[in-house]
Amino acid sequence: MSKKRVLIVDDEIHIVHVVAIKLRNNDYEVITAENGAEAFKLACSENPDIIVTDFQMPVMTGLQLIEKIRQCDQTKDIPVIMLTARSFAIEDQQKEDLQISQCLSKPFSPKELLENIEDILYHRAVISRQV
Amino acid sequence: MFLRSVRNLYLIVTAVVAVSLLAGGLAQWLDSGAEEGGRFAGYMQRVHVASACHIVGAVGVIWLGWYWIRLAGAITSIAKRLKADNIMNSRFRANDKPKANGNALIDELSDALTEQIDGYSNVIGELEKQVSDLQIQIQLTQHQKGHIEAIIYGIRDAVIVVDEYDKLLMANEAAGRLFNFDFTRSQHKPVGDLVGRDKSEFVDILSHSRQSKAQATRKEIEFLKDAELKTYDCIISCVYDQKQQVCGAVAVLHDVTREKQIRQMKNDFVSHVSHELKTPLASITAYSEMLADGEANDEQTIKEFCSVIQSQAKRLNRLIEDILNISRIESGLVKVEKKSVSLTILIEEQMQMIRSYAEEKNIEIIWQKPIVFDQVHADKDMISQVIVNLLSNAVKYTPSGGSVEIETEVDETENLIRVSVTDTGVGIPEDEVEHVFDKFYRIDANKKQAKGTGLGLNLVKQIVEKVHEGRVFVSSKPGVGSTFGFEVPLATREVAEPLPVMSKG
Repeated sequence: MSKKRVLIVDDEIHIVHVVAIKLRNNDYEVITAENGAEAFKLACSENPDIIVTDFQMPVMTGLQLIEKIRQCDQTKDIPVIMLTARSFAIEDQQKEDLQISQCLSKPFSPKELLENIEDILYHRAVISRQV
Repeated sequence: MFLRSVRNLYLIVTAVVAVSLLAGGLAQWLDSGAEEGGRFAGYMQRVHVASACHIVGAVGVIWLGWYWIRLAGAITSIAKRLKADNIMNSRFRANDKPKANGNALIDELSDALTEQIDGYSNVIGELEKQVSDLQIQIQLTQHQKGHIEAIIYGIRDAVIVVDEYDKLLMANEAAGRLFNFDFTRSQHKPVGDLVGRDKSEFVDILSHSRQSKAQATRKEIEFLKDAELKTYDCIISCVYDQKQQVCGAVAVLHDVTREKQIRQMKNDFVSHVSHELKTPLASITAYSEMLADGEANDEQTIKEFCSVIQSQAKRLNRLIEDILNISRIESGLVKVEKKSVSLTILIEEQMQMIRSYAEEKNIEIIWQKPIVFDQVHADKDMISQVIVNLLSNAVKYTPSGGSVEIETEVDETENLIRVSVTDTGVGIPEDEVEHVFDKFYRIDANKKQAKGTGLGLNLVKQIVEKVHEGRVFVSSKPGVGSTFGFEVPLATREVAEPLPVMSKG
């Protein structure tokens, strides 16, 4: 069984690093990006199973990234977890419209993030089997 | 009583007159009979004539008496009525009224009339007093009205008073300016016709508040004024008449544009602060959890995790210090100890602090020849903070092999000293230059170059401009470099301390 691929997007290098270590230690393949624009290119080229993104980033914000991902046929179904210090700035309607699977607040627990990733991927796998 | 007296008088007078007439007629007849005697027919004729005359006389007297009685009755009745009326005014009865002698009717009539006249005089006096009081009250009311109008006209907020049909009763100058109408020409016109369509929301609220009879309605509304969007806190209060019916409304519009901006700035600040604080905190908690969970597999990873925790804790502390310093300066709570200090010494001290960092990055620090008179009246620690922030920023954003140059210049005309720090760094995009001194502003394109809180330059601005009445400046060209600097007033030469003698070697 191939490893699940996770795209981590954050302009804070330490956050990217710690999440990457946690996921790699738990048998995930990790690719990283520092902003939305870079992440969108990787999403198109690397086809990740899930994306974990920050909200406030230079060049392209997390919300702009998700909008772009949802508009693109190739990437529109990729589940997204928002990891942000500004979770209060994201409205429920926005979460629903952009199909954001989960919104985690910073400071966060890497363990909790991992559990969320596992849950989402598991449910997707169940649904795809049913289909 | 009076009538009875008059009747008795009449009977007596009539009886006396009738008896005297009859006695007179009889006496005349007896006299004539005694003088001429025996001529019967002549006697009879004279008796008839005399008796007829006396009867006519008696009837006349009776008629006159009767007429007199009726007249007296009428006068008595009037007198009684007057007397009854005067009971009301008995307190006005004059003690020194003239007394008529003899005739009780005349006396009583006179008394009654006197009392009536006295009563009317008093009433007239009272009325005159009331008129005078009313005139004073009118003058007082006009004075108070003028005073209230002056107060309302003097209010900077727009004040509008309307009647129960939303027609304009009163408005001050501020209202005229806001809604663009002249009050003297607009009185009694519907407010809806006076304010523009763009302000129809106000008319709707005014009308709705009046109709709902709510004591007070408050709403924030926005208008375009002088091509600028302004926010007004609109308070509408209903005006009630004596029957507690709404007879109008008063609207007060207070410009809260600035307050709203400040509110927004505060919200943005809190939002920024929370984000900036949470970011290093997120790293600290995540790395700590990883360490605790044994996710660091080797010694080197453990060391790396600990190092990240340390650096992020320092970052957090720096942030808190900067936020507190800015907050203290802004609120005027910072303790400032200004004295004459040598800028040359301060620059040298801060250069020493930054030199090792510059050498690490292979950056040359150049300082032009120091100036002769370098004394500024300043808080030493704060100006040192300004210099170190500018120097460290310059080194931070300058690639290896570049240079940072410090220049000091005295402007005697302006009586100030100018310090500039020029680097050969990445530069700042033209449209972002004006924002570099804003709180938490960081240039996206330069974030990769170095870490920062986005508060260092704002702190420089606060210290220079708020504490030292100076000025900060910046110029930049992307890819070429930037010049940041500040100007502060020179210390007066009289109070300036002499430069310390620098020891050689």
